[in-house]
Amino acid sequence: MARLTLERVSFWYPAMGRPALRDVSLAAAPGEVIALVGNVGAGASTLLLVAADLAPRVVGGRLEGRVKGEGGRGIVLPTPWTQLSGMAFTVWDEVAFGPANLGWPRERIAGAVDRSLAALDIGALAARDPATLSGGELQRVVIAGIVAMEPALLLLDEPTAELDPEATRLVWRLVRALAGDGCSVVVATSDLDALPELADRIVWMEDGAVRRIGAPALLAEQSLWEAGLATTVADVWRTARLGAPYPLTVAQAERRWRQ
Amino acid sequence: MAAVNAELRFEHVSFSYGTVPALRDVSFALAPGERAALLGRNGAGKSTLLRLVTGLLHPAEGSVSVGDWETRGRPPESLARRVGSVFQHADQQLFARSLRDDVAFGPRALGHGAAEVARRVDTALAALELSAQAAEHPYDLPPAFRKLATLAGALALEPAVLVLDEPTAGLDRPLRARVARALADRAAAGVVVLVATHDLAFAAEVLERGLVLDRGRLAGDAPLAALLTSSGRLAPLGLAPPTGAALSAALDLPGRPVRQRDVANTLARVAAARGPV
Repeated sequence: MARLTLERVSFWYPAMGRPALRDVSLAAAPGEVIALVGNVGAGASTLLLVAADLAPRVVGGRLEGRVKGEGGRGIVLPTPWTQLSGMAFTVWDEVAFGPANLGWPRERIAGAVDRSLAALDIGALAARDPATLSGGELQRVVIAGIVAMEPALLLLDEPTAELDPEATRLVWRLVRALAGDGCSVVVATSDLDALPELADRIVWMEDGAVRRIGAPALLAEQSLWEAGLATTVADVWRTARLGAPYPLTVAQAERRWRQ
Repeated sequence: MAAVNAELRFEHVSFSYGTVPALRDVSFALAPGERAALLGRNGAGKSTLLRLVTGLLHPAEGSVSVGDWETRGRPPESLARRVGSVFQHADQQLFARSLRDDVAFGPRALGHGAAEVARRVDTALAALELSAQAAEHPYDLPPAFRKLATLAGALALEPAVLVLDEPTAGLDRPLRARVARALADRAAAGVVVLVATHDLAFAAEVLERGLVLDRGRLAGDAPLAALLTSSGRLAPLGLAPPTGAALSAALDLPGRPVRQRDVANTLARVAAARGPV
């Protein structure tokens, strides 16, 4: 049973003539990581808002088609500074805000918060006032708050945009670990180089529609390369006019080069 | 064209938020036309350092100066004659009804006449290829375009120093390339460009010098290409070489290029020399 199913979904923001999503169908299975790639305005963020039941319910607009979800869902918005509860004076309380609103017993909340802080390596920030955090610290706190709610479907919109490379790797490892526990993850990211090891499927979006769905090897294909959506290694390989098959990662390139 | 060229200088600068120290004894100078990356972990003090340049914060100890102006005692609106900035949460910097009005706000506030404001706005929008969107409401555009609009606003001040905090976060490759071109163009005109970024691939393409902060101290100051090819120097700072540099090291390419185009060209040359791959 899919955690999320979109059937022929189109969506229009309020007062917009052009649809932001056009006839999109997609299903996310338990334990699957799906990466949405595309250039700015392609519709990835809108797809996540629809999947999170925020569009049209909260942002307004009009939807056609069917959206079905199973289990709890959590979304990490690309604007972490808008996602704080505003009700917490410490990072610990901020991360506890979501679980507390699920009505969990106190011990379960505490366990989930501590695990989540540890998973994001921000235990040292637990007593800090969220208002004093740096952009990257804040982004990790917001992710921790969503992860603490143990969603069955995790929706991430550019979750590493403000993170340093170390924290970025940590978040991608966490995503894989959550998927290993059965969570379905849909992530929109411009960190294309991370996807060969992160994603089970790549969904290429363009102008609100799904252009292609496939394995990470898509990120070396001619059409994605021309759209600026190849991994760095595949891009270099193609620009250098070396032959197929195109490596996606440094490790793959090294193996090919040594052959 | 920048009204003046000026050096950016930090001398023994320290700063704390209450009891939390953010910067300790930081000294460096950037000459006109220098393009520097400000690197370091989340929370290392990068954004604090940039706010000290804009005069939003003032050093507890030491001094920050832009040319012959010390920032202390100068409000940000006065410093804006010499310093243009874009902060991480750029969305919050926009408020007008059209991109054009938003970009015009700065030059108007500096007291320029209508013709000069129009010239600056046109130049700044054109530099980021936003002219076609000039009449649009900022909130009808995707967030990435709003981010570019805030950069256009900073360019329209025609400052001597540009400080940018994560200017490529959330941008796709075509938009990153626009930012890269605009910054290179400003540096060529003598503007100091200082960019706090985790996007090391972007930094490799555009910037030349690397300033590294580690827990508030200046832990490194080196040519960026040298820094980015040394995983030994990057790892303790929570950084890793960008993919292009990592590829160049893994394949042992001669000269260890870091810019993507240079990596591809070198790879093509080496591959041709050793026969079909």
